[in-house]
Amino acid sequence: MKEESITDAQLREFLLGGLDDDTRQRIERLFLTDAQTKESVLVTEQDLIEDYLEDGLSKEDKERFVSRYAQTAEQRRKLGITKSIRDWAATEAKTPQVRVATVSVWSRFWTQLRSKPVFVVPITVTIVIAVVLAIVWLNSQRERRKHLAIEQELAQLNSPESLREEPPHMISQKLKPVNIRGLEPEPAVSPRPDTQIIQLSLPWIQKDRYPTYEAEVRRFDDDEPFKISNLHAESDDIIRVRLRTDILRPGNYQIHLRGIANDGTRSSDEEYSFTVND
Amino acid sequence: MSRHSAIPPESFEEILAWLDPDREVAGTRYVQLRHDLANIFNWRGCRDPEGLTDEVFDRVAKKVHEVRQTYEGDPRLYFCAVANNVVKEELKKIKTQVRLDDAEVPEPIATASEKDGTLDMEECLQSCLAKLSDENRKLIVAYYAKEKQAKIDNRIELARQFGISVETLRVKVYRIRASLQQCIERCLERKANRK
Repeated sequence: MKEESITDAQLREFLLGGLDDDTRQRIERLFLTDAQTKESVLVTEQDLIEDYLEDGLSKEDKERFVSRYAQTAEQRRKLGITKSIRDWAATEAKTPQVRVATVSVWSRFWTQLRSKPVFVVPITVTIVIAVVLAIVWLNSQRERRKHLAIEQELAQLNSPESLREEPPHMISQKLKPVNIRGLEPEPAVSPRPDTQIIQLSLPWIQKDRYPTYEAEVRRFDDDEPFKISNLHAESDDIIRVRLRTDILRPGNYQIHLRGIANDGTRSSDEEYSFTVND
Repeated sequence: MSRHSAIPPESFEEILAWLDPDREVAGTRYVQLRHDLANIFNWRGCRDPEGLTDEVFDRVAKKVHEVRQTYEGDPRLYFCAVANNVVKEELKKIKTQVRLDDAEVPEPIATASEKDGTLDMEECLQSCLAKLSDENRKLIVAYYAKEKQAKIDNRIELARQFGISVETLRVKVYRIRASLQQCIERCLERKANRK
């Protein structure tokens, strides 16, 4: 933060309208021009909203909060969104993990089988179901192997040597991180019939730089992302990612990009998104 | 009072050029500046942040040609100064309004259409959560697992597990939540446009 540093307490007062004019204007100017201050203000605002939602504000602060954050329909909608995220997270946290006691179930099963032969028909049905499940499992394993094979190909396509080449039938698209793209429309890629590769340029906006980066590319609605490791930033802090068009079905895609330090620790994710048209 | 700005195209182009010589960067800065000014108006307790943001751009548009020649420094600071004047005028206009100290501030009341939006909100939440990576989803759940005093201890422990400071954890969670919030807002907008 520039000039004299601003404390969390000052930022809370700023958000609740309780600062003197000079300090308030200084924060406003920094909010508009200094990315770090902007993030600090917005993080503090999220904490303030959180405190309000869990009824953790004093009466006076609550009144000041309501007068700024809950008067218009738009403000209430934003509060509602935050509340729904928190409520979902709290519910998820309370949901117990279901653990299957495999050994004891099988043990009981064999005991019953030995003592009651009349169970043969249900057991046969069970075995049929088990066979069906096994087929499903084998299919999923095959899909998994296919997925890994694609990831290996992507690793090859994005190796430093491959990225130095300019293959034919490639189109390029610049993406901005979702959190700075604001309300701009989502970038769209329209591969031509002869397009084989799409190159995405991802600007790295975090202050820290990393020796390598890792990208996870996920199609909205698909469970498992394609992971591409060992990516490197170029001199202008751009990380290039190349994808084969045959693995990109039309739809919305999301990329999570993170830096990997030498000791293996990871940075927070930057998120990018784009649409692939027919 | 929300209104649409009527900036002449040539002034708009000049504002963009002032914000940055690269038109694409300028466009991004313009959208971001509008958003940031609306936030500032909101924090100053103004009822119509979007309308006042339009007012700032209208005023700058009228003077941009002249000011640009002599102004030194980040143009966003000029917008900030104009915004400050707009707030002062706005506060004068509403001086008849009851002082906060003297009034009971009502609890926020949801309108009928807001209540109807609950189902949309739930659908949008679920669709946006599906876009989160497993790691981010788990982090959000762990971060909000506890409330009040237990929350503080929980977050210290969580930061320790990640090998980061609590401050970095706050920023990390803020970023995930901000992208989730943006996704939900866009989803709700799309649903509202379809109705």
